[in-house]
Amino acid sequence: MSRDISFLLPELIVMVTVALMLLGEMLRLPRLVLGIGLAGLALATWQSAQQIGLDTTVFGGTYRIEYLAVWSKLIILPATALSLLLARAELAGTPREGSVYSLMMLVTIGALMLSGSGDMMLLVLGLVLTGLGSFALVAYPDDDAATEASMKFLVFGSVAGAVMTYGLTFWFAGVGSTLFTPLSGIAEKPLLAAAGLVALLIGMGYKAALVPFHFWAPDAYQGAPVSVAAYMSVITKIAALFAFAQVFKELPVSTGWQWAMAVVAAATMTYGYLAALVQSQLVRLLAYSSVAQSGYFVLGILAVGKGTLGVDALVLFGAAYALMNIGAFTIVLLAGRDLSALDGLARRAPMLALALVVFLLSLAGIPPLFGFFGKFLLLAAALEAGFLWLVVIAILNSVLALAVYLRMVVPMFKPAKEAAPIEKNPVATLVWGSTMLLTLGLGLLATLFTG
Amino acid sequence: MIPLISLTVFVPLLAALLLLALPKSTSKTAHVIGIGASALAFLLSLGIWARGVVPGGFAQVEEVSWIDAIGAAYRVGVDGLSLPLILLTTLLFLLSFIFQAKSGDRARSFVVLMLMLETASIGTFAALDGLLFYVFFEVSLVSMYFMIAGWGGPERQRAALMFFLYTLLGSLPLLLAILGMFLASDPYSFDMRLWIDNPPLVGAGAMLALVAMLFTFAVKIPAFPVHTWLPAAHVQAPTVGSVILAGVMLKFGTYGLVRFALQMTPEAFRTAGVVVLAFGVVSAIYGAFVALAQSDLKRMIAYTSVNHMGYVVIGVAVAAMATDPAMRAVALDGATLQMISHGLVTGALFFLVGMLKERGGTYDMASYGGLLKVTPVLGWSFILMAFASLGLPGLAHFPAEFQIFLATLNIAPWGVVSIIAIVVVAALYLRAIGAVFMGAPNEKWLKMPDLDRREAIVIMPLIALTILIGIAPAWLLNMIHTTTAALGF
Repeated sequence: MSRDISFLLPELIVMVTVALMLLGEMLRLPRLVLGIGLAGLALATWQSAQQIGLDTTVFGGTYRIEYLAVWSKLIILPATALSLLLARAELAGTPREGSVYSLMMLVTIGALMLSGSGDMMLLVLGLVLTGLGSFALVAYPDDDAATEASMKFLVFGSVAGAVMTYGLTFWFAGVGSTLFTPLSGIAEKPLLAAAGLVALLIGMGYKAALVPFHFWAPDAYQGAPVSVAAYMSVITKIAALFAFAQVFKELPVSTGWQWAMAVVAAATMTYGYLAALVQSQLVRLLAYSSVAQSGYFVLGILAVGKGTLGVDALVLFGAAYALMNIGAFTIVLLAGRDLSALDGLARRAPMLALALVVFLLSLAGIPPLFGFFGKFLLLAAALEAGFLWLVVIAILNSVLALAVYLRMVVPMFKPAKEAAPIEKNPVATLVWGSTMLLTLGLGLLATLFTG
Repeated sequence: MIPLISLTVFVPLLAALLLLALPKSTSKTAHVIGIGASALAFLLSLGIWARGVVPGGFAQVEEVSWIDAIGAAYRVGVDGLSLPLILLTTLLFLLSFIFQAKSGDRARSFVVLMLMLETASIGTFAALDGLLFYVFFEVSLVSMYFMIAGWGGPERQRAALMFFLYTLLGSLPLLLAILGMFLASDPYSFDMRLWIDNPPLVGAGAMLALVAMLFTFAVKIPAFPVHTWLPAAHVQAPTVGSVILAGVMLKFGTYGLVRFALQMTPEAFRTAGVVVLAFGVVSAIYGAFVALAQSDLKRMIAYTSVNHMGYVVIGVAVAAMATDPAMRAVALDGATLQMISHGLVTGALFFLVGMLKERGGTYDMASYGGLLKVTPVLGWSFILMAFASLGLPGLAHFPAEFQIFLATLNIAPWGVVSIIAIVVVAALYLRAIGAVFMGAPNEKWLKMPDLDRREAIVIMPLIALTILIGIAPAWLLNMIHTTTAALGF
C-alpha cells in the first residue's frame, strides 16, 4: 500500500492542490487560487519527471506508471498550467474566476486517470470526471450560447458515457476481469470483443472528438471561453487518445481494432480538414482542425502493439500538439474570434502574426517546427504497422491542412485596415511567447521525448 | 578541424537571428548584414572547395547525434555532386543580396527570409541524413512562399498559394520514400551513406519508392507534366526570388534525382530508365516550344528552364541505363555540369530581365526595341547569356549538353531527338534579342540608363564564369568526375 501511494505522488499532489484551490475560491481570492494551482502543477510535474524510466503498476494493475502514462503527466500538467494562465488572461476580474481554475484542475485529475488507466473501471471514472468538470467550464460565460453549448455537450457526453459503460460489461463478461491485461484472451469470443470495442470507440471517441463522435466539439468550443476551448482541445483529447493506446496495448489485433481505428482515423482527418476549410469563425476552424489532428494521433495508436515507434510518436506529437494548439488559441483570444479579425495583423502586431504563423505551420506539419517531428514519427509508426493506405491518406490530408491554415495566414498580410488596437496582456504574452519558442526549438531536442 | 560545412550552412541563419534581435534596424543595416553573411558563406564554401572531395563516398563529414531512438543524426558532407552546387548556391545568394541592396521595401524581413532560404538551400545539398535533408528541403518552401506572397507581382497571393500547395503535395511522396527506406534499413537509420552503399529497398518496394521520389523531384525540377507551377511562380516572384528559384531551388530536384532516385534505388531506376528518359525528352522539347510561344520575357526564360532541366533528366536517365561505367560517368558529368551552367546562365538572365523591368516597367518584349544602342552593356550581357543558354560552343551549356548527347547517342540513340529543342531555343532567343535590342530605338526609352556599378558587379562574375566553363571546364569537371567515376552500382 505505501509502495503504491509513493508512486502516486504526482496525482496526490494535484488532488491536494485542488482542495486548497477550492478553499481559496471560497475566500474569493482568485489570484491565490491561481498561484496555488501553478505551484501544485510545478511540484507534480517535477515529481512526474522523477518517474521517467519506471515501468510498473499500482493497485493490482489498475493504474499504470509506465512510459506513456509518465509522459502523459509531463505533457498534461504543464499544458494545464498554460491553460490556467490563459484563463487568467481571458477571465481576470469576472465573477467566480477561481472556480474556472479549480474545475480545470479537477478535470486534469480525470485526464491523468484516463491516460494511465489499466482497468475499465478507471476508464469510466476518468470519462465521468473529465466530463462533469468540462460541462460546467463550457457553461461558465452564463449566456445563451454557452448554456446551449453546454447542454448539447452534456447530453452527448452522458449518452456516450452510458453506452461505453454498458459496452465494457461485455468485455468483463468475456474475460471475467475489469483489467486490460486479460483482454489478450478475448480473441476467442469475437462477438463480445466487438461489442466492447464499439462501446470503447463511442466513449473514448467522443472524448477525443473522433469522427463520427465529434459533433459536440465545435459547438462546445464556440460557446465556451477561448481558454476553456484551448484546454479541452488539448488535455482531455490527449488523455482519451492515450487511453486508447493503453487498451490497445493488450487487445489482440485479431479483434480487428486496428482496422476499425484506421477507418476512423481516415474519416477524422479528412472530414476535420474539409469542414475546417469552410469555417469563418476562428474558434470553429481550430475546433475542426483539432478534430483532424486527433486522426493523426490514431496513426501512432495503430502501432502501440509492437516496437517503440508508436508510443514515441504519440508522446512526441502529444507534446507538440499541446504547445502549438494552446499557442494558436492564445492568438485567437487576443486577435478576435472572427476570421476577419486577422486582417492586417502582420502590420498591426507583427510578433503576434509571426507567432500565429509558427503555430499554424507547425500544425500543418512543416519542418523544422516541433509538430513536423511528431507527424513524421506518426507516419513512420503507421507505416511500420503496415497501413500504407492510411499513410497516403494522411499525407494527402497534410496538403489540405496547409490550405486550411494558410486561410488564416493570408489575411494577416493584407494591408492593415481600421481595427481596434490589440490590448497588451502580459499573461497571454507569456503563454504565446513560451509556446512559440518551444515550438520553434524543441525539434532540435526531439530525442528527449523518445524512449 | 573547423567544421567548415556546418559553418557555411548556419552562418546565414545566425545572421538572420542577429538581424531579428537588433531592435529598429534600418534598411542599410539589413543589407549590410545580408551581404556580409552571404559573403562569409561564400568564402567558407571556397574553403570547403580547397579541402576537396574524395573518390567514392563523402568528404569532410561532420556528425552530431540528434534523435538516437530512430537513428537520425545531424550529418553533413560533400562529394563531387554536391560541392559544385553548394558553390553555385553561395555565389548566387551573394549576388542576389548585392542586387537587392538598394531596395528599401521592408528590407529587414526580406533579408531575414533570404538568409533562412540560404541556410535551407546549402543544407539541402550538404545533408547526409534523410530526415535532415527533408527538413532543409521543406524549409525552403516556407521562405519562398513568403517571398512571393510579400514582394511579388499583382497576382502574388494566388501564385504563392499555388506554389506552396503544389510543391508541398510534390514533396510529400519523398517523405513516404524516406520513411520506407528508414523502415527497411536494419537497424533503423536515416544515414544516407548507408542507404547509398546498401540500398535498403529491393524489388517492388524499391519501385514504389522510386515512383514516389520521381514524382517529388519531377515537380521540383520541374518536368513535364508537373511543371505548371513554375511560370506562375516566376512571373509573380520578385527578381531575386526568380534567380534563387531557378538557379538554386530547381537543382533540388535534379540533385535529388541523382542522390536519392539513382543512388538509393539503382536497380529500379535501371528498369524505369526508359520511361524517365521519355519524360526528359518530352520536357526538353515541350519546354522549348512553349517558351517560343511567349511574349513575356520572364515567362519565356522560365520555360527555357523546363527545357534545360529536361536535358539533365535525360542525362540522369541515360546514366541509370548505362552498363559501361565510363559512359555512365560521362552522362552524369554532363548532367551535373548542366545544373551548374543553368544556375549561372539562367540566374544571369533573370537578373537582366529584372533590371530591364526596373527601367521599363514591363516584361513584354514588344514594348521595347533597339535597346542595344541605348544600353549597350545590358544589351550585350543579355545577348551573350542568351547565346550561352542556347548552347553555343565556348559558353557554359555547351560542354554539358555535349556530354549528355554523347552518352545518349551511345546508350539510347532515339533520345537524341531532343536535339531539335536546341534549334527552337536558338530561334526564340534570336527573336527576343531582335525584338528588344535590335532595330530602331523606341522613342520612349531613349533616356534609359545603362547598368550602374552595382548591377555590373552582379552580372560580371556570372558572365566570366559562363565563359570560363565554356572554354576550360576541366577545373569543375575534374571535381565532378572524382565522384561520378567512382560510383559503384
